[in-house]
Parts: sequence; structure tokens; C-alpha cells
Amino acid sequence: MNARIIEVSKTVLALQKAFLAIILVVLAMAVFNMIPATRSEFFSQVNLVDLLKSSSIFLILAMGETVTLIAGGVDLSIGGLMALTGVVVIQLINAGVPIPVAIALCLLLGLVVGAVNAFVSVYQRTEPFIITLGMGIVLTGIGLQLTDAHPVTATDQGFQSIANTEIFGPVPILVLVMLAVVAVVYWMLRNTSFGRNVYAVGGDYEVAKYSGINVLRTKAATYLICSLTATLGGVMLASQLNSASSIAGDNTPLYVVCAVVVGGTSVAGGIGGAIKSAIGLVLLGILTNAFSMLRIDTLVSYLPTALLGIIIVSILWLDSYGRKRKREAV
Amino acid sequence: MSASTQRLGGRVNSQTAINLLKSNPIFVAIAALAVVTSFVEPQFLTGENLNNIIRQFGTLIFAALGMTLVIMAGFLDLSIGGIIGLVAVVTVTLIDTVGQGPAILIGLSVGLGCGLLNSALIISSGALTQAESLFITYGMSLVYGAAALMYVQGVTQFLTYSKTSIALFDTINSGGIGFLSVSAMIFLVCLAILYVIERRTYAGRAIVLTGGNKVAARLAGIPISRSIVIIYSVSGVMAAIGAVVLVSRVTLADPTMGTPYMTQAILAVVVGGTALIGGRGSVMWTVVGTLLLILLNNCLNLLEVSTYVQYMLRGAILIMAIWLDRVKQTSVSK
Repeated sequence: MNARIIEVSKTVLALQKAFLAIILVVLAMAVFNMIPATRSEFFSQVNLVDLLKSSSIFLILAMGETVTLIAGGVDLSIGGLMALTGVVVIQLINAGVPIPVAIALCLLLGLVVGAVNAFVSVYQRTEPFIITLGMGIVLTGIGLQLTDAHPVTATDQGFQSIANTEIFGPVPILVLVMLAVVAVVYWMLRNTSFGRNVYAVGGDYEVAKYSGINVLRTKAATYLICSLTATLGGVMLASQLNSASSIAGDNTPLYVVCAVVVGGTSVAGGIGGAIKSAIGLVLLGILTNAFSMLRIDTLVSYLPTALLGIIIVSILWLDSYGRKRKREAV
Repeated sequence: MSASTQRLGGRVNSQTAINLLKSNPIFVAIAALAVVTSFVEPQFLTGENLNNIIRQFGTLIFAALGMTLVIMAGFLDLSIGGIIGLVAVVTVTLIDTVGQGPAILIGLSVGLGCGLLNSALIISSGALTQAESLFITYGMSLVYGAAALMYVQGVTQFLTYSKTSIALFDTINSGGIGFLSVSAMIFLVCLAILYVIERRTYAGRAIVLTGGNKVAARLAGIPISRSIVIIYSVSGVMAAIGAVVLVSRVTLADPTMGTPYMTQAILAVVVGGTALIGGRGSVMWTVVGTLLLILLNNCLNLLEVSTYVQYMLRGAILIMAIWLDRVKQTSVSK
């Protein structure tokens, strides 16, 4: 029994570099906490809940992005879509539309965007990342035009309570929504034939095609899922802050994709999973949090951004290098 | 192969001209825009305004020229935004300590260094796909941007605060012989060098072949690694030249001033007709693509379209350009 636990944990650590990194960061923070000069509030309940809350939006977005990446695509329009959704939902509510209707309309908007992405990149066979990059610019532009580049605030206080109502002590609904999205995507990828098809399409497009999988429809569906999660993330973000800005998503897509890759989902497709992506996102979230808790930016300002960039590059480098080694081994 | 691989400046007769127009709607678009703009604004076709357009080319054309080689080889470089910011602040802060000429040279070497670092990362990781290069250079863009912010502590540096002479920057911005400004001359020299590299050297052929098919190129004994080093160094240096020109024009250096050029450079290259999948294109087409974008901006400004709608249109054009290019390729291969 004991030997088996050791064996399992060994494989987990070997497969999950990001998980190992999380453990290292937590240990490092524990050590820092023993030294009076660097003692921080990292392990306080407030900070841990904060960490969970601030990672939740990105985690929701990352679940859809994971599905798209596994199928061999990529969606960089999620930032623009998230920001636009926030703006639209708040403007609709301020215009007197009932909250559930406003949210439903936003999800519809997400489906339309996903359908356009899927049509141009999957059915017309163009390069998805540049198409979705363009789509992100279009959506941000629409958001800017709608708001004249000013942030908008919801007048109906009921909207705010959707994400922020606390249940289970200090844990708000937002976190539950995130956990639900993770659970659904995990179940979908692991236990449904659609999930299997997604892996097959991303792993080898031609083989999947000749195995009788409707590759086009499977791949297109992943873009719809990705847009839906981005829309949900946008609604939740607007609700959490009770306001929305058209430029809120400028750095989101690449941050989310990098975090997903950090977790072990490959940009080449066919490899990955919901839990892996969640671990990747938690790692980046924990690092950002640890940097701010240790007040690194008071030593050298902007150092945290540089460190985050270096860490992202190193992990992407390792991802590519692993593939190179595998290629050469064959 | 599509007609856009035809050498520009080959033998021109009416038939080839018509064919060229048919297969390259971009010329029609430019002509239409020029006609519309000259109707709305009669001053449009004066020499002064044309020179003005060349000045608006500014940083974008340099960044886009560098990006062209990268895209032709089947890679992408998202780090130019960070490089432009870093080079700009390094150049401006060094003017007082080492003088203006050396400052510019150091700035250009920083650009070269960033490009070499990018290529080292990509070669050592064995990244062969466009997506991999995209993410790695995006990460590097964060690093360069943060380095620039750390270097000046987030403070905007003003060129005019320099205690020593900044005549060189003034010359780049406003000097010139006749109607040809200095920045236009720098542009023409860069274009000529890149065109010769692309068309007349072994390295240029290797870059195009790398983009065409990386596996085939490797099996044919083409040094892919050397192509990667060349394209990213060129991209870094061109971004650095763009940064110096930008600093001369706006007389300040801000660590984040390069951010918009990242997508715009890709847009200019793709609108020009260089295929994103690599192996096809030319720096000449990028000039045409940039011209179209600048004219479009001019035209929309004259028509008083809001900047946000212009921003939106830029994304829409990017999608349309790639989609149309794909449709064109499919119809050719049929």
C-alpha cells in the first residue's frame, strides 16, 4: 500500500511539473514565513480565498481554451469576448432588461462569435490563432465604441450578488461556478465520446478523419465551447466587480493559453486535460500572489512581471523541448 | 503557385498587368482608396502630403519589413512590441552619458541582441511550428517589456530633456534632401538590403524554403537554424530602427510604446499577401500592404470615423485578408 502511494506520487510528480512547482512555491513561502523579515500574510484565510477568487475567472476561461487546444486549435479572441460580454451585460441590465435575459443574450453572443471563429478557421481552414487574434481586436473595438472607452457600472445591485454572495463561509458563488465548469469539462473530456473525439482530432487529424470521426464538427464544437466559457467568464467578472471595461481582456488570451500550456496541455494538440490546466493556472496565480505578498516590487519595481515572463518562457521552452526529444527518439 | 510569387518589376506588358490586377485585388483597393481620398481631400496628391504618408509609414514599415522574413520562414515574432519599447528607453537614456550616435548604435545592438536571444530560445527548444514560436516570443515580449519598465522605473523619458545634442534625432525626423526625408531614405536602404537578401542570396532562398516545408528543407540539407538566426536578428534590428525613428518623431520614449506595432506589423504583412503559412511572399508586398493600411487610416480619418471603429475594422480586415487569401489559394490549386 505504502509502496503504491509512493509510486503514484512519483508518476504524478514526473507528469506534473507544474504541480511540483506549486509545492515548491508553497514550501518556499513557508520558509519565508519563518524569517521575521519576510513574514507575510500568504497563508491567511483572507489571502487564500482572494487567491481562489482572482484565479476563478481565468480558470473558467481556461477550461474552454483547454478543449480547443486539445483539438489542435487555439482561440485568442477570449479576452476580447470576455471584455465585450461584461460591457454588454451591464449595458443591457442598465437599459432595464431583466438579469437572466441579459445573461442569456450574452451567452447567445458568445455562440455567434464561436460560430464565426469555427466557420473561418475550421471550415475555411485558415490559421486559427491569427483569425481569433483578429476577432479579439474586432470585439475589443466594438466594446470601445459601445462604452466610449469608459468603464461602465451596473445600477442594479442585484447583479453584483450573482458572483459575490458568500456561501460556505467566505467562499463566494463565483468559486462554485468555477468548480462546476471544471467538473463539467473534466467529465466531458474523460467520459463522453465527444471528449475522446477531441483528443483524437488533436492527436492526428488524418487518422481521426479516416476513423469516421466528424472532424470538422468536433473541432468547430470546441470553438463554441471556448466562446461559451469566455462569455461566462465575462459575465462573472462583470458581476464580481459590478463594472466592466472594454480593455479588461487585452492580456487575457495569451496569459490563459500560457497557463494552460504550463499545466501540460500541448499547443500541438492531442495532449492535456481539465485538471492539468487548472493546476497550471493555480501555479501562475500563486506565483503572482507570492510575488506581491513578498513585496518584491518594492525591491525592484516591475520585477514580478519580468519573473512571470521568464517562468512562462521557460515552461513553453520545456514543452517544445520535450516534443523535440520525443521526435528524435522515434 | 499563385501569381503573387511573380517577380515585381519583371517584363511588363498589358496582359501581365491585367493578370496582376486580377490576382492581386490589393492594387485595386489602393487605387480605389487613393481616388476616394483625393476626392474628399484635394490636397491628397500634393508632394508634401505624399511625403507625409511616407513619414506615417514610420515605425510600422520597419517592423513589418522585419516581420516579413519571419513570416516567410513560417514563424512569427510577437516580441517586437517589447523590443521597440526597450530600445526606445535605452537609446534615450544613454544620450547624455555616451552621446547621440553611440546611443543609437547601442539601441540597435540591443535590438540585435533581443533577436539573437529569441532565435537561441527557438533553436534550442526545437520549436518548429508557428504556434510554438508565437508563444515563446510572446513570453519574451513580456520579459523585454518588463526589462524596459525596470530600467526606467516606469517613467517616460523625454528626448528634449537631454543636456547634450540631439541633432541626429532632429535630422531623422525632419531632415531630408528635396522631398525625400531622411526616414524615407533609411526605409529605402533597408528595403533594398532586405530585397537583395531575399532574392539574390543563398540565405534568402533558404528562408523561403524553410517556410515552404521545414521537414523537406532539413532533408535537403538547408540549414534551418541559420535561417532562424537570420530572420529573428533582422526582425530585432528592424524593430530597433523603427524604435529610433519613432523616438525621433514623438520626442519621448515610453516602455510600452511598442505594443500596438505587434499586431499591426502582422496585419501589414498579411494584407500585403505574404502567406502566413510561410514559403511565399516578399518585402515588396509588405510595402504595398503597409501603404494600403496607412491610406485606409488616412481615408477613415478624413471621413471622421471614430478611432474605435477604426480599431475594429483593423481586426475585420485581418480576418478578411487571411480568409480571401485562403479562398484564392484553394481556387488556384483546383
